[in-house]
Amino acid sequence: MTPKNNIIIGVVVALLVAASYNVEANPIEFAEGLPNLGIVLEELLLVEPKHVPVALWAMFETVQMAFIGTAVGIAIALPLSLLAARNLNSKYVYAPIRALLAAIRTFPSILWAILFVIMVGLGPFAGVLAIIMYTVGFVAKLQYEVIETIDADPMDAASSIGVSKWQLIRYVVIPESASHLLGQVLYMFDYNLRQTSILGLVGAGGIGFYIINYIKFFEYGKAAIFMIVVLITVLIVDWTSVKIRDKYIVKSQHGMEVTAKLN
Amino acid sequence: MTRAPLPSLISTLKIIQINDISASYDSKSLVLDHVNLSIDRGTNYAIVGPSGSGKSTLLKLMNGMMIPSSGTIKIDYVAPNMKDKKFKKMMHTIGYIPQNLGLVKNITVLENVLIGSLPRLNKIQSFFKRFPEDEITEAKKIIKQVGLSGKEERKSYMLSGGEKRRVAIARAFMQKPTILLADEIVSELDRATAKEIMNLIADAQKRINLTAIMIHHDMKLALEYANRVAVIKGGHKILEIGVEGDTIVDFQTGDMTTEEIMSMYSDDSEK
Ligand SMILES: Nc1ncnc2c1ncn2[C@@H]1O[C@H](COP(=O)(O)OP(=O)(O)OP(=O)(O)O)[C@@H](O)[C@H]1O
Ligand SMILES: [Mg+2]
Repeated sequence: MTPKNNIIIGVVVALLVAASYNVEANPIEFAEGLPNLGIVLEELLLVEPKHVPVALWAMFETVQMAFIGTAVGIAIALPLSLLAARNLNSKYVYAPIRALLAAIRTFPSILWAILFVIMVGLGPFAGVLAIIMYTVGFVAKLQYEVIETIDADPMDAASSIGVSKWQLIRYVVIPESASHLLGQVLYMFDYNLRQTSILGLVGAGGIGFYIINYIKFFEYGKAAIFMIVVLITVLIVDWTSVKIRDKYIVKSQHGMEVTAKLN
Repeated sequence: MTRAPLPSLISTLKIIQINDISASYDSKSLVLDHVNLSIDRGTNYAIVGPSGSGKSTLLKLMNGMMIPSSGTIKIDYVAPNMKDKKFKKMMHTIGYIPQNLGLVKNITVLENVLIGSLPRLNKIQSFFKRFPEDEITEAKKIIKQVGLSGKEERKSYMLSGGEKRRVAIARAFMQKPTILLADEIVSELDRATAKEIMNLIADAQKRINLTAIMIHHDMKLALEYANRVAVIKGGHKILEIGVEGDTIVDFQTGDMTTEEIMSMYSDDSEK
C-alpha cells in the first residue's frame, strides 16, 4: 500500500467520524433501542384480522398509482428522449430539453408530492403526478442515453438512402433502442411502487398515509401489518419482473450474442 | 462475356466527375491525396487496392457522407453533401451498400429491404409501417433475386454474414437507383453466389443503364465485369485501365510498374 492510499483512507475515516458526530449517530443508542422492536412484534400479534383487507385495499390503490404514474411518465418521457438525443437533433433542441430533464430530476419524488399536494390538494392524484414527474426525468435520461449509443452504421445507411427524420426514428432508432425499454419499464415500475408506498407520508395517497397515521397514534401493530403488506407486494413485483426479464430480455440478448459470432 | 456493353451514344456523358480531391478524417494526414477520376453513365467502374488505401473513403465522398477537404466532386453536376437540400433530394437515386452493411438488427429482412423504398412513400403511412401492395411485391421479388426467399420474416440479426450482405444488396436495389456504390459486397461470398450478384448488377446495367461503382477485393472478378478498373494505393490513384472483352484498351499508369501491380494481386486471386 502506498503512502498516498494511507492518506486517502485516513481522510475518509476522519470524515466518517466527523459526520457521525454531526448526525448524532450513536451505536449505543441503536443497541438500547433494539428491544423496542419486540414491543412492535407483541402488538402485531394483538391486531385484529379485520385490518388485513383494509391494508390490502390500500396497497391496491398504491399499485394503481404506481402503474398509472409509470405508464403516463414513460409515455411523456419517450418523445422527450428523442428530442434530447444528441445524435438526432441540433444543439438548440437537445440542450434546453436536457436542462429541463435535469431540473426535473433534482427533486426526489417526495418533494414533487409535497408540491402537488399544495397544487391539487391531498389524495392519490397528487401522488400520481409526483410519480409521473419522477418517471419522466429518469426514463427520458436513460432512454436518450440508449439512443445515443445505438449503432451508427444503420443510421448512416438509412440517412444515405435519403429517408426523412421521422422514418429514421421509426425504422432505425426505435427498433434499435426498444430492447432496452422493457427493462427500464420494469425497473421503473418496481422503483415507483416503493416510492408510492411512502408518498402517503405527505398526504399524497397510497398505503403510506395509513402507516404514518398509525405511527402518529402509537398503533405500531397496525402500522406493522401495513408494512408487511408493502413488503410482500414489493417482493411479488420483484419476482415477477425477474421472470419477465429472463423470458424476454435475456433471450433477446442471447440472440445478439449469436449474431456477433456469425459476423 | 458477362459485362454489359456501353451504350455508345451516351457514353460521353460523365455522371461522376472528381477533380483533384483530397480527404482526411483528422485534418492531419490525407487519406486521399489529389485524386482525379471521371465515370461515364452506365459504366461498371471497379476500384481495387490494398486495405486502408482509401477506397471506402472515396465512396463516402460520392455519397455525400463526407466532403472533400479540397478539390471538387460532382454527381450529375451536384456536389454530394448530405446536409445540402439539393443533394438530399437525389440521394434516393444513389444506392449505397456500405462495407459494414448498416442493417437494422431488430427488424425483419423484408422491413430492412423496404427501407430502400421509404423516400418515395407517403410519410404518414410509412410511419405506421403501412406499405403499398406493389412495394411489398417488389421487395419480395428482389429478395427472391438475391436468393433469400423464405427468409422475409426473419429478424436480420439471425442471418449469416453472406445473407446479411444480400439483404443490404436488396435494400439498395429497392431504391431503384441510377448509381450503385457497392463496398466489397461480393468479397465474402462464394464464387458462384458472387457471380449471381454480379450478373444481377450487370442485368440492371443493361436494363436501366445503371452506373455501378464497385470496390473489389478480387482483381480477377473486377476484370471480369468492369469496364474500367482503378487501382488506389496510399490515397493515390496509381493506375486506371479500360477493358473491352479480354483486352485492355486504355492504360493510364501512375508511379507503379505493371509487374508491381500484378504481384500485388497474385495472391488475392488464389483465395
Ligand atoms: N472514421 C474514420 N476515422 C478516422 N480514420 C479513418 C476512418 N475511416 C477510415 N479511416 C482511415 O482512413 C484510411 C482509409 O480508410 P478506408 O476505409 O477508405 O480504406 P479502404 O481502402 O476501404 O480499406 P479496406 O480495404 O480495409 O476496407 C485508413 O488509414 C483508415 O484507418
Ligand atoms: Mg473499405
